[in-house]
Amino acid sequence: MKRSEFLRGFLTAGAIVVGVSLTHASEKLNIVTTLPDLKSIADEVGGNRVEVFAIATGFQNPHFVDPKPSYILKLSKADIFVTVGLDLESGWVPSLLNSARNPRIIKGGEGYVDASTDVPLLQVPSSVSRAEGDIHIYGNPHYWLDPENGKIIAQNIYQALVRMDREGEVYYSENLRRFKDKLDTKIQEWTAMIRPLRGTKIIAYHNEWPYFEQRFGLQIVDFLEPKPGIPPTASQLARVIREMLRDNIKVIITSPYFTTDSAELVARNVGGKVVTLATSVGAEEHVRTYINLFDYNVAKIVEALK
Amino acid sequence: MAFSKRYVLRFEPYTVCLSVLLSVSVMHMSAEAQQAYGPVGDTTSTADSSLIREQVLIPAPQSQTIPRVAPSVNPDLSAIGDFRSSYTNLGMRRIEIYFNELELQVASIVDPYARAEFLFSFGKDLDSGELGIELEVATLTSLALPYQLQATLGKFKPQFTKVNSLHPHYFSFVDFPAMVNNYFDSEGMFMEGASVSWLVPNPFDYFQELVFEVGRISSEPIASLVQGENNQLLYVGHLRNFFDLTDDASLEIGMSGLSGPNQFSSSTVMGAFDVTYKWKPLQFNTYKSLTWQTEGMFSSVEVAGMDAVHTWGGYSYVEYQLERRWFLGGRFDYSEFPGVEGARDRAGTLLLRFQPTEFQILALQFQYMDRSYDRDFAQVILRAIFGIGKHAAHAY
Repeated sequence: MKRSEFLRGFLTAGAIVVGVSLTHASEKLNIVTTLPDLKSIADEVGGNRVEVFAIATGFQNPHFVDPKPSYILKLSKADIFVTVGLDLESGWVPSLLNSARNPRIIKGGEGYVDASTDVPLLQVPSSVSRAEGDIHIYGNPHYWLDPENGKIIAQNIYQALVRMDREGEVYYSENLRRFKDKLDTKIQEWTAMIRPLRGTKIIAYHNEWPYFEQRFGLQIVDFLEPKPGIPPTASQLARVIREMLRDNIKVIITSPYFTTDSAELVARNVGGKVVTLATSVGAEEHVRTYINLFDYNVAKIVEALK
Repeated sequence: MAFSKRYVLRFEPYTVCLSVLLSVSVMHMSAEAQQAYGPVGDTTSTADSSLIREQVLIPAPQSQTIPRVAPSVNPDLSAIGDFRSSYTNLGMRRIEIYFNELELQVASIVDPYARAEFLFSFGKDLDSGELGIELEVATLTSLALPYQLQATLGKFKPQFTKVNSLHPHYFSFVDFPAMVNNYFDSEGMFMEGASVSWLVPNPFDYFQELVFEVGRISSEPIASLVQGENNQLLYVGHLRNFFDLTDDASLEIGMSGLSGPNQFSSSTVMGAFDVTYKWKPLQFNTYKSLTWQTEGMFSSVEVAGMDAVHTWGGYSYVEYQLERRWFLGGRFDYSEFPGVEGARDRAGTLLLRFQPTEFQILALQFQYMDRSYDRDFAQVILRAIFGIGKHAAHAY
């Protein structure tokens, strides 16, 4: 083969590859969320006009997600990016957004959604020092674990959808109303289930349940981690055992991404039990939606505290 | 996407030790334990716990929206310290104890179109004992170029090989591989110029990035390259391919090349490949991981009036995360020297790393260096890295 023919063939093949890729674009709005909970809510509001991808899985620690280059590719094509915000994803989202080459979805862009906007925050620190562990300066970021906040998240996503797709406004608005109504009904149901247990003291592994605790009237009195993000120490576990024995606390709640050794050790010493709750959609096989998340967690906690 | 996979990690020795400690602690309660359900029981622990929570955390009234932390336009500011102590079984002064480097980083979004980063290094020259200050990185990077392009201007680490673009505190081992040291400098190569990268569209929808860089080697000459006295510039290219093999495993394969002026008033041409395999179970990614990385590099140095000198170097390492805070690594290096025939280094390195939090790393490294041109030596290095402030996240 002559050199010029080879070159021509090479360039033609390259042009086909690029052409196929560029025409492969979807007509639906492309949404990338950091967590699957945000994806579930975006699916509810966006319906069949959106295609949603969640970066983290439901059983993954959302503080520590590897910023893989494959996520850069997803973000480069996104119309909307939804983040939990409040520095929860500060270890991995900035490097992804900086490399995404997509001005629509960087902070200030019309497709950037901070889902925490308008959420009433808990545990906003009065002072910040890393001596206190992984304290989040804007407040505790695990706010999606209060279903009331699910409605605010949905509202924030709805606003971005309308900004990016005016034609779908009525459709999105109807989906939003339906989702909020469904949540209202379910919140009443969950609250009724858990009402007899209000005020019950429990222990948690990590400080990620204050919104759930407040919504359902539970009382988390201590943590296995001596400080947020610092693994349990023997002295901390001994202290928790003393507390549990003294106050007759029988349940330790933990998350799918923590090993259960220390929690089980404490439970054995006090005759208690360890309950692994779902921190996000997808944490367990049948927790497929945001509503399922609370169906699962409320049922688990009620069963454990009976 | 796979759903929850229940790995339950068992550390029997850890559990046994913890049980003993707990038993002692609980027995120590004596009377307090007897009064566990009584009104006068030990309330110190709960009181301490409550006090800490009350001091640090202010719970919000449910009915009102809390005002948020005041917005600020201050850039992210961080300082990273690198302290070392070493013993080498060669030479007159065998023990070194020194503060190796302070790295000060300032980074921020400039406007909707770009971000900037400055990195100052305060380092000590071991021979003279003097403290030197160097601006290592000063870049303006675009955020809004069309066609999946991104451009960087300023001073930066060029993307020739995978390891060169890393800063030393982010590399697993205490030192860079011998090939970096022999062909560039102990901290790698820096250049001043421009870099353009492109996310290459492809029908298989995998991450492929093409990088092209042009400029001059920064300030002092390094082993392979000099600034050049005429208009001869340094050109660097890198092709990066990333594949998700499974949810837990990934493979990155890259190729890079460069051409630039050398100390013999002629050109150096270099080529390299890199392969990186990473495994991290998604569910327990803070407890277990494995990285295997291998790079090879080829150098052709032209010397005026003579045949080009071809040499090469490479390394391969494995790092395994034993536990949440403990890592174990091993590396093999082989490296010749640019423009020099018959000289080579061979080294075997073992590393034990303890990482109490993501802001502090303690590493103990043993290395045996076999040199074809001088006496072999063994070295033990202890390094402490500690960071404060908000450090910009590193690329994967």
